[in-house]
This record gives sequence, structure tokens and C-alpha cells, in this order.
Amino acid sequence: MSDFSMLDYGLGILQALLLIVLSPLIVGMMRKIKAKSQKRIGSGIFQPYYDIVKLLRKEEIVSDQSSWIFRATPWVNFVTTASAAFFIPVFLVYSPFGVVGDILLVVGLFALGRFFTMLAGLDTASSFGGLGSSREMMVSVLVEPALFMTIFVIASFYGGTNISTIVSSANDTSILIVPGILFALIAFFIIMMAETGKIPFDNPSTHLELTMIHEATMLEYSGKSLALMEWSHAIKQMILFTLFVDIFLPWNFAEQISLIGISFGIMLFIVKVSTLASFIAFIETRVAKWRLFRVSDLIAMAISSSMIGVIFFFL
Amino acid sequence: MSENLSILYVIIAFFSLGATLGLFTRGQKYHTYFTYIPSAFASFLTIILSLTIFSSESIHLTFFNIQDLFYFEIFIDGVATFFLLIIGLISFAVSIYSLSYSKKFDDKKNNSALGMLFNVFIISMILVVISNNVFFFLVFWELMSLTSFFLVIYEHENKHNLKSGLTYLVMTHLGTGFIFASFMLMYTQTGSFSFDSFRDVSIIPQYVKDIAFVLAFVGFGTKAGMIPLHTWLPKAHPSAPSNVSALMSAVMLKIAIYGIVRYLFDFNAIDSSPDYVWLGVGIIVIGSISSLVGILYALIENDIKRALAFSSIENIGIIFIGLGLSVVFAAFHLLSLSVLAFIASMFHTLNHSIFKGLLFMTAGSIHYSTHTKNIEDLGGLIKKMPWTAMMFLVGSIAIIGLPPLNGFIGEWLTLQSLLAVFQIPSNILQVSLAFAVLAFALTIGLVGATFVRLFGITFLSKSRSFKATNAVEVPRLMLIGKAILASSCVLLGILPFIGINLIVSAFDLPYTPSSPFETISITNTDGSNFASLLMPGVLVIFISVIVGIFAFVRIIGGKTKTVKYGTWDCGFGSLSERTQYTATSLAEPIRRIFGVFYKPNNHIDVNFYAKENLYLKKSINVISTTRNIFDEKLYGKVISGSLFVLDKIRKIQSGKVNAYILYIMITLIALLLFVGFGTHE
Repeated sequence: MSDFSMLDYGLGILQALLLIVLSPLIVGMMRKIKAKSQKRIGSGIFQPYYDIVKLLRKEEIVSDQSSWIFRATPWVNFVTTASAAFFIPVFLVYSPFGVVGDILLVVGLFALGRFFTMLAGLDTASSFGGLGSSREMMVSVLVEPALFMTIFVIASFYGGTNISTIVSSANDTSILIVPGILFALIAFFIIMMAETGKIPFDNPSTHLELTMIHEATMLEYSGKSLALMEWSHAIKQMILFTLFVDIFLPWNFAEQISLIGISFGIMLFIVKVSTLASFIAFIETRVAKWRLFRVSDLIAMAISSSMIGVIFFFL
Repeated sequence: MSENLSILYVIIAFFSLGATLGLFTRGQKYHTYFTYIPSAFASFLTIILSLTIFSSESIHLTFFNIQDLFYFEIFIDGVATFFLLIIGLISFAVSIYSLSYSKKFDDKKNNSALGMLFNVFIISMILVVISNNVFFFLVFWELMSLTSFFLVIYEHENKHNLKSGLTYLVMTHLGTGFIFASFMLMYTQTGSFSFDSFRDVSIIPQYVKDIAFVLAFVGFGTKAGMIPLHTWLPKAHPSAPSNVSALMSAVMLKIAIYGIVRYLFDFNAIDSSPDYVWLGVGIIVIGSISSLVGILYALIENDIKRALAFSSIENIGIIFIGLGLSVVFAAFHLLSLSVLAFIASMFHTLNHSIFKGLLFMTAGSIHYSTHTKNIEDLGGLIKKMPWTAMMFLVGSIAIIGLPPLNGFIGEWLTLQSLLAVFQIPSNILQVSLAFAVLAFALTIGLVGATFVRLFGITFLSKSRSFKATNAVEVPRLMLIGKAILASSCVLLGILPFIGINLIVSAFDLPYTPSSPFETISITNTDGSNFASLLMPGVLVIFISVIVGIFAFVRIIGGKTKTVKYGTWDCGFGSLSERTQYTATSLAEPIRRIFGVFYKPNNHIDVNFYAKENLYLKKSINVISTTRNIFDEKLYGKVISGSLFVLDKIRKIQSGKVNAYILYIMITLIALLLFVGFGTHE
């Protein structure tokens, strides 16, 4: 595994860049679908890009109560999520950086970003920030075990926490439709919704701070910092979607490096991710946000689902 | 070897020097230097000693041998060396820290006693680790317990501290009792008090070894703070002065781990007997419960040192999970997995010493400059004490187990060994160990929440009281002490093979040490990569992303202005420190979700201006409490039960001479009968 050529590393960087660059597009697409299904016109699917560029050029207002933690958080968030993108196979069946880190490292990087986000929420001395941090804390405490149990199921079935190993064995074997993996799929789907702040858990587009979870922690951000926060959130969502399609819909990856294979892989990847995104956007328009203390029930469902997956694997 | 031995003598000499100088320079201007510089020097030599023994052979010596019963035997092998390294590293940092910290007690207290006990405490821990016979092991163990007891009650003006000290004294002797029983049981089989005879596996029957291990596990476990024998830990650690709590949490708990490791892998010499499966599972169960319960209490605790003490229980739990897994794997002949789990557990032992020492020292710094340990009174300290805040942040990131610091490596290794349970050929075990994964994962999540709360409330936003407003940064020596440990966190995180190589050579594991820049890699039987981790590589990716995004933002965004302005207040006027989130409100959702465990109770008292009008409220008073199920259900019952029994026994002491003569006669007859019937050959 360790003897990769420069071409491999180049393609690995290309995979990461693809995730980083395409992530705002998925956000725009999901917004468009939500708008359409609510009989609104909505902004164009490239709007998130315009937003990022605009925000990067705007002046920034920083709370006088805040410390360097507040200003460092957007950078930490971006660096952790963008670094995580390097470990995810996109159109190849592996990532050449797979030796550097596994799925546990990706989870750890997300947790590092979230740690800083929660601190930033507390840093401005605003009660909205504290509220966001408190809720984010609650959700993360519950999502963490669900995520680890799901990883446990996947690692047991596919022989590794190394993402390249997982994807290549998912790609060869046709054990997709076994009960264990199906339960892991349910759990992972719920976790994905929770981690990206989708509607039964969180409603980032609301105008009432009291109902927010993630958005409340970044309420005080503006300018460059806000652009980085938004973008890193989009990358995180993109990575989770990609992991989902990599693990549960692993068809037609390019195993050998060839121009046709790669271009076909990229196209298929975009199709798969946008289908998933449309499906999630559709769900978001069909369900209402749940009461905060019912969210824990939903995550508990993810935990028990992955536990069932574990038991199916062992029996 | 003789050089190493002379280093050892110098270490002992310097600690003794520190202890005596501490007593004789009482009241002098520079007395802290007389006490703590020798201890810092001796600790530094301890590090050197352990590093030289790693590369040379172990030391085995016997002193003043009187009739094979009363003699002092030392044995410094790899196991002892590893723990000597922990003692040396943490004591070195804490000694430097203490140079300034102990000035806090000038004019108020007898500072020389603190310095004396501090030195004796460290040397007693070193001597426990290197003793190789029962008698001296127990003597030094007791010396360690007693000096730490006196250190816990050092601030005895506070009635609360005296009470914690008493709990500690009782619990630690309970533990010593179990250890003593275990040693005696081994003695009945081997007929020798030397640990060398205990290592002779063949002569001791399996069931005796099992019983002896369980006794020793309870004994050492009490000292390590495992649930449900943890009750002394969250009381004693916060009561001691902070430099001592750092030593107690970071080092003394590890001496208990040393005892367990010595027993498990040296005296008991794990093999594939089915007994070990259940011993291992028992250790894992206790470890999982300890980690979960410990962190749940830490999460809602408002006293920063108590929260850290509870988090020590949690970390000891994680160490136990690793140890237990190692035993289970070994019992099933899965040798490489057993090694992996063992490395994970020892790596976490080393890590926990480093970051818990660091965190207790920062907690001490906070107390030093604000005179409070209650985080509800703190806030905004990051602006007043920027360096201390930085150290606490490093410690928090490390303890949560976030990349790229050392905690992540320890937890990564533990998780990898947990993920490998599918290789155990027993379905029931696999499924039950899956629950251990769940407990571990939940623990990791809760640790994150705990340290967000501790750091966020203590250091960020507005100061919540004058104590925090008037805080200033602590003296430089205290910062240096912390910086030593903080940089160790970073170093071990980025180059984990430094730690892994140490463990491999210390415990003589069947695994070749490799260069620090190597990839940690676990392979499947078919040769595919199960998992791998290359921290320097992660760092390279980090740096390239940072450079990339800086360049991107600069090119696209250009130079923009940054304006400082008040936090958005919805247009209602300035926000005060009372409108911020408090530590209690921050943890409220979690307290509610885990209500079964915490049994929270909010008692609301409303005072009205007039009874007739229930709309005009004079004051609203909320008392929010949680209940400690261990203290209520377990210790409450045990204490009331023993009081009941003792009350009944008291009736024997009637005070009448006739009754006592009767007792003497009954005893005599009983003894005569015993002699008469007992020794019929």
C-alpha cells in the first residue's frame, strides 16, 4: 500500500480538492430543492460561492469580550475539516493518504473543530452562544457513541478502520444487503443528519435563535470568519455524504488509474452525492423540527440500531 | 550497573536532603529553594536513571540480610523503570512549579512541613516501585499513604479537608489490608517474602493465584480509585495543595496501576487458562463502569479540582479496559492483539500522568491567583492569565483525546484493540465486549463536554466575580513547570513512537522498536491494512492546508478591516456577566438526559410581596441538587449497617467485673477444647 507514485498523490490531492471545492455547490443544490418543494423560487445553486467570496471581502466585526479562541476557531474548523477531506476516497477506490490516518482520525478531526466551535460560542459572553454550545454539547455527547458503534460495525464487516480498506472491500464484496450493514446504514444516516444539522435535529435557516443548535454558536461571526465557518460546515457535510456513498453505495470506483475510469468515477460520484443530497433535502421539507429533548430519542435509536448491527455481525 | 546504582543513591540522598533542609530552613527567606531544588534535581536524575536502565541491564540487589526474613531487596527491571520514568518526569515538573506555588502558604502556614512531606512522598513512591520483597514494599506503600494523608490535611483549618483526609485514611488502609492479605496468601504457598519466589509460577496452584490476584486487584484498585471504591478520591485530591494533588493524581494512582501490572504480568504470568478470560472480563467491566461513572460526575461538578479528580477515575477506567483486553486476548492466544491492548493501556497511563499533572497544576494556578476553585465564580481568565489558559487548553485537548496530541494516540490504540474483539472465538464475549465499546465511546463524548465546560466557563467570556476580575498571571516558574508537561503532550502526540518504543523496551514485548517517524499500522491476516496512523503525516497535511487557505483568503479576500464592537445584545443595552451561561446551565441538557443517574432535583422557592397577589414576586430562589447514588446507596448502607452491628457488640462491654471474669473463663475453656481436639495426630 505504501508505494504510491507521484501521480497517486496528485490524484489524492485532486480528490480532496474536489470535496473542498464542490461542497458549497451541494449546499446550494439542497437549498434550491428545498425552495422548489416549498413553492419558492430560491436562489441559484451557485449562491454559496458568491456568499463566500463576498464575505471574504467584507470587514469583520469581532466582539470586544472575545479572546483569540474566537478568532482562531474558523481557521481551526477549516483546517480540521479540509484535512479530513484528504483521507476520503472519492472516485478512486482508495486514498493515497489512507496510511496517514483512518476513519477514527477523521472523527477526531471533526471533534477538534467542534471543540473549538463550542468554546467560541461561550467566548462572546452572549447567552445565545452559550445556549448553542450547551445544545451542541448534548448532541455531540450522544452522537459520539452512535458514531463509534457504527464504525465498529463497519470495521468488523469490512476488515478495518482504514477508509481505503473499507471502501475497497465494500467495492469487491456483495455483502451490502446483509442485516448488519443495513442497521449500520440506518444509524449512519441518523448520525449524518445530526452532524450536519438537518431538520429533525436542528434548523440552521431559522430566524429564531432559540431554536438553533449549531448556528447559535456562530452567531457572532462575520466577514472572513463567517465565510470560513460556513465553508468548513459545507465541507464537513460533503465528507459525511461521501463517506455514506463510499461505504453503503460503493459501485464503480476506478480501481486502476485511467482517464476514462477517473472521469466516469467523478461523474458517478457527483450523481450519487447529489441524489443523496436531494433525498435529504426532500426529507427536510417533509418533517418538522423535533423538540430538543426528543432529539436524544432519535440518536438513541441510532445507537441501538448500530448495536443490533454488531449483534448481527457476531451471530 | 554500578553507575546506575550510584545514581540511585544520589537520588535518595537528594530527596532526603530536600526533606531535611526543608525542616531546618523554616522561616528563611529562600526556604522554598532549599526544599524544591533538591527534589527537582533528584527527579531529573530519576529520569536519567530510568533512561539509562532502558539501554542497559536491570538492577537486582539485596541489602542487610538478617536471617532471610528482614532484608531490603531492590529490583529495577523494565516495569519498574517505566514507572520510575513517570515519577521522575511529573515530579520534576511539579517541583519546579512548587518553587513558586508554595509561596502561597508563606506567613499563613508551616511551609517547611509541606516541603518535607513533598520530598518524602516522592521518594516513598520511588522506593515502592523498586522494592522486591513484601516487607519493604508494604513499609514504603504505607509511608506513601501516610505522607499523602498528611498532605491532604495540610490545610487542616478547613474542617472539610480533615473529613476528606479521614475518608482517605480509612479507604487507603482498607486497600492495604487487601494487598496484605494477597501477599500473605502467596507467602503460604511459596514460603518466602521475596517477590522472586512469587514469580516462580509453577509452584503456585492456579486457584490460589486467582484469589491472590483478585485480592490484590481490590487493594490496588482502591488506591487507583476504581468504582465503587473511589469515594476517597474526589474528596482527597481536591483537599490537598495543588502541587500535591498533581502528584497524587498523576503519579500515585499509577503506583497502584504498577501493582496491578506487576501482579498480572509478572507474578501471575498470564497464560491461556480459562480463568484469565473471566479475570480479564472482570477488569474490563470495572474499567468501563469506572470510566463512565467517573466522567458523569466530573461533568456536573463545579469545583474544578473535584472535576479533575473525577476525571482521574475515568482515565483509570480506560487504563483498566486496556489491561483487561490484554488479559482476555492473551487467554485466547491472540498474542499480537494482547500486545496492542497492553501498549494502549500503558500509553494511556503515561499520557494520563502527563496531562493530569498539567491540569492539576493549572487548576492550582487558578486557585493561586483567584483564591477560588468554584468555576461559577470564574470566567474571562484567558485575558488575565493567557499562558495558564494556553496550558489548560493543551491539557484539555489532550485529555479529550483530540488529534494531534498524545491523548488521541492512547484512545486510538484502545479503540483499535476494542475493535479487534471480533477475533475472539466466543460469541457471548464478543457481544458483551461490544457494550464496553459503547461505554468507552460514550465516555469519550462526555469527556469532551466536561472539558468544554471547564475551559469555557473558567477562561472565556466575562468574569463572574471580583475574584476573577482581579486575577493576574502566575509567576514564571509555575508556568515553566506546566510548560514541561504541555510540551510532552505535544511531543508524544506528534511522535507517538517515542512512547511506544519506551513501552516496548520496558516491558520486553515481542515487537521491534522502530523509528519515531514510523507509521503505527495494524494489518489483517490477509495482509490488508486494518488501520494505520502517521501523526507526522497528519501534521504535514495540517500545515499545507493552513498555508493553502491563508493564501486563498488573502488572494480572494484581500486585506480587510477588523472592528471591535460589543456583543450583539438584541438592542436591549449592555450585557452583564449575569446574562451569560453558567456552568450549571451549560450542563443542564446532559443532566436531564442522564436524569436516571443524577436524579436531579430543582427546588424552587417563590416569595411574594403579598399572599393575595401571586403575580408580584419578591424573589425566586432555586436550589438545584443532584444525588450521589454511591454515597447514598452503598456507603450509607455499609456505614449504617456496621454501626448497627457495632452497637450490638457494645453490649458485651457491660462494665461489670463478674461478666469479664466469665468471658475469661469461656475463652479458657474454648482454648483448652481447641488444643485438646485440634492437634490430634
